Order: sequence, then C-alpha cells, then structure tokens
Amino acid sequence: MLHRNSIAGLALAGALLMTMAAAQAFDETKYPDWSGQWRKPQGIGNQWDQTKPPGRAQQAPLTAEYQAIFEASLADQSAGGQGADIRITCVSTGMPRMMTAVRPFEFVITPKVTYINSENNQPRRIYTDGRGFPKDDEATWSGYSIGKWLDTDNDGHFDTFEVETRNFKGPRVYEASGIPLHSDNGSIVHERIALDKQNKDLLRYEITTIDHALTRPWTVLKTFRRERKVLWSEDQCSENNNHVVVGKEFYFLSGDGYLMPTRKDQPPPDIRYFRTGR
Amino acid sequence: MLHKCLLAALVVAAELVLMIGTAAAFDDSKYPDWSGQWRRPSGVGTQWDQTKRSGLAQQAPLIPEYQARLEASIADQARGGQGDDARVSCITAGMPRIMTGTRPFELVVLPAVTYVYGEGNMPRRIYTDGRSFPADEEPTYMGYSIGRWFDEDGDGKYDVLEVETRNFKGPRTYEFSGILLHDDNASVVKERFFLDKANSDLLRIEITSIDHALTRPWTVVKTFRRERNILWAEYDCAESNNHVVVGKEYYFLSGDGYLMPTRRDQPPPDPRYFKAAK
Repeated sequence: MLHRNSIAGLALAGALLMTMAAAQAFDETKYPDWSGQWRKPQGIGNQWDQTKPPGRAQQAPLTAEYQAIFEASLADQSAGGQGADIRITCVSTGMPRMMTAVRPFEFVITPKVTYINSENNQPRRIYTDGRGFPKDDEATWSGYSIGKWLDTDNDGHFDTFEVETRNFKGPRVYEASGIPLHSDNGSIVHERIALDKQNKDLLRYEITTIDHALTRPWTVLKTFRRERKVLWSEDQCSENNNHVVVGKEFYFLSGDGYLMPTRKDQPPPDIRYFRTGR
Repeated sequence: MLHKCLLAALVVAAELVLMIGTAAAFDDSKYPDWSGQWRRPSGVGTQWDQTKRSGLAQQAPLIPEYQARLEASIADQARGGQGDDARVSCITAGMPRIMTGTRPFELVVLPAVTYVYGEGNMPRRIYTDGRSFPADEEPTYMGYSIGRWFDEDGDGKYDVLEVETRNFKGPRTYEFSGILLHDDNASVVKERFFLDKANSDLLRIEITSIDHALTRPWTVVKTFRRERNILWAEYDCAESNNHVVVGKEYYFLSGDGYLMPTRRDQPPPDPRYFKAAK
C-alpha cells in the first residue's frame, strides 16, 4: 500500500512534469544572457582588426593580385575618390564587415534562429534548427548563416555560439579603406562568440574569413561591451546622405543643394539626355 | 507511514515542478502561433486601405489643406515627379506605412518585445514589458511602440496584441500616391493584431491612425496570408536604385549611366561648383 501511494505520487509528479514540459517549449535559461546592447569599446574605430589601425596597418594576408587592388583603392581615396568602398551609396556592407558594429547591435535568441539586430542594418538570421546550407538560395550581402550552440564547460548551459556563413554576393570589403574580398564571392566566414570569462559585460567575437583573395584564413578577435541601459536610435543611411552617384562618378551635394566635385578637375555629369544639354 | 510516503512523493513532485518553472521563464504556449512569413494576399497592391484603389479612391478623411496637398502630389506624379512620396530616396516609409507589408515580414514574439522583421526595413520593436512611453527619446520614422496582450476568448492563451505607437518624425505618407500625415508628426497609431477565427493562416491587422491631417481617426483592416515554406530575400533599396536626387530635383539614371530628366523640360543639375562650368 505504501509502495502504491509512492507510485501514485510519482505518477502525479510525472504527469505534472509532462504538462509543464509541453507548455514550456523554449527553455531560455539554457542559453547565455546576451541581452542588452553591444557596442564597440571606446576608442575603437571602424577598422576590421580592432587591434590595428585601418588600411595597410591591418596587414591583411592578401594575395598579390588583391593587394594591388587594395593599393589602388587607397590611391583613389587619396585623390578624393571612394576607392573600393561603396558604402556611401548606402548599400549594405554585408558579411563580414557588418560585424564591425559601426552602430550598436543586439541578439534575439530563439531556439531555431538567433537574430542580430543592428541600428543600421537589416536583421541578420542565424539558423540553429539543424538545417544544412540551401543549394539554390539567392546569394546575399549578408550571406546564409548556420549556427550551433556549445556548452564548452559542461555546466548544462550553452556558452559559445559557432556560426558559419556562405552564399555571398559582392563586391564586399572589410573596412572603409577598401580591403577587398574575392570577386568570386566564395568566402566562408566562421564566427565564435562567447562572453569573457571574467567580465560578463564583454563579448569576445572571433571572426575567421576564408577567401580566395587571402593567402591564409584571416582571424580577428573583436570585443564589444554591453550597454544595459538600452536606447535604440534609427540610423537611416539614406537620410541626409550628401553623396550622389552618377554612373561610376561620385559627387557631393553642397549645403545649398548643388552638385560639387569630389576630386580635382572632376567634370560635371554628362547631360546628353537633357534638352539643354544637346 | 503511508501518509508520509505520499507526502514525500508530492514534495518531490512540487520541487520538480518548481525547478522546471524556474528553468523555463518563457512560456511560449501562452502566445499565439504567428510563426512563418506574412505576405499581402495575391492581387492586393501597396495601397493603404487594401479594399480600395490607391490615391483619391482611398477616400482618406483629410482636412481640406491636406486634401489639396494630396491632389498636388498626384498632379506632380502625373507630370513625372515624385509628389510627396520620398521613398525613391530609400528613406524608410515609417509608421504606419511600413505595415503595408510591401515585402514579406515575420513576427517574433518574446515576453518583453515582439519584433516585426520586414524585408527591406530595420527591425520594429513593440515593447510588451509594461513600460511607458519615454519622455525625451528622439523621434523616429518608425515611432515608439508599446503593446499589450489580451486573452479575448478566455481560453488561457493570448490571441490579440494591441499596440500604440507615438513619437514620430516625418514627412510620412500612407502610400506612394502621397497621402500625407500631418507635418506636426503628432500622430498616434493604434493596431490590433489577431488571427482570423476561421483561418489561422490569415492575419488581420486593424490600424487606426489619429492625426491632425485627418477629420476623424482613419481605420483600415489589413489581411496578410501566412507562408509556411519560407524563403527570405535581402531587399536592399539602395542597390540598383536608379533615382538620383540633387537638392529638390529628382532625376533618373539611364541604362548607360547618364542622368535623365524625369519630367518634361526639366533642366540638368546646376554645375556652378565645377571648374569646367566656369
């Protein structure tokens, strides 16, 4: 009788547990607390490797062909041009550059997808539902990302997020100086994201780029600091964008609303399609 | 003894239930299943009231001043201009127009925030954590949205999300014809999201705009259909945008990369800041 009562009690416990399990599909405590807003540390600019100045000082391991393309970009920028950086047109920077986090970002973690919301980019989706890379998806600037959560210290909670991203379109560069990725867009980007062991308000973000413009995989470690008092603003690249692109020429818009040259002796736009231009 | 055993088993059950309760903070079964991709029904364009044609046929309850501005916008568009629709410059449409669902969108429901992810837009956050409207936040095209969940049929699950959005900047229009919201940007937008009772693959969004350009609150009910076979594209408005804005003039870029007029006898851009023009 004693035994039967215990069984009845445990059966009740089991039934309650099953009900709870069915009702609570998303156990968010399994995932790390990455809430809040993540920002570059103070004093860090928009260079790719946060530990080095932008441009040549990045020491990007480029092939000779792409080093020459990069040098041409720097030279054009010195002459007032934009080089290989087309961000002024407000086209997405794509991956991996968008993880420079020019503006703050947040993580939205759900069981099947982790979203990265940035102030100046469309949300990035990282699928964690076990899917493979699609075979016929249209290539994009931000690529197609598949992630995997790891419990590296075996405490029953995920602490590390590994992500692989493929299927890009371009042109893409790492930073404003114009360090290019290969025009074949065959890049693969690996990310490993985890909180600092000592300081839960620091995020360590390792990004390895495998690309045919590189002589070897290029790994950088970025750090972001958590802002718990969150304030989101709306960064509209197209709003008050004073850059005007006509064909392959870049111009600037003056304060009084007229086109201006961006380099010495730049001619005004060809007006062959205007009546007065004939 | 018998009583003690039963009690012990029940204590174990209660502890287990408590443990599960602590571990699973987000009971997603309390919220409606709005997963998938939401699209405008076939045959519905990007007009504001889905049941009427765009432009004057919308019968927007505008005050005379704003009715006159709508007519001027339509007349300008008839001549090749953009009227009051600034969307060609890729600036966000803002609220309420972004809820037209020109491109598909996703709703991600979490306890503190419901995210609206529209292809081509930054994420929209609807806060459901009980906060109030901030007193000093910078206005945005999207506004600041606060939502509240309701269990209208009393079945223990939420079925309706009511949202109020304030704190806008502008100019904003309801649709491409140029039906304007008031320049004072004091609009209040109220939304009710719910699934159709008979077809859970149809989402109804009732949107009421309260605005000083209107003679009365303007309510429309939009319907979106659920797509379960999801494919997200990357819509980058700035990419291949052939509209060129110089000051207050809109031009078009020809296929061969030259500026073209968008209206009859439109002069070319003033080249006063170019050496060659002096």
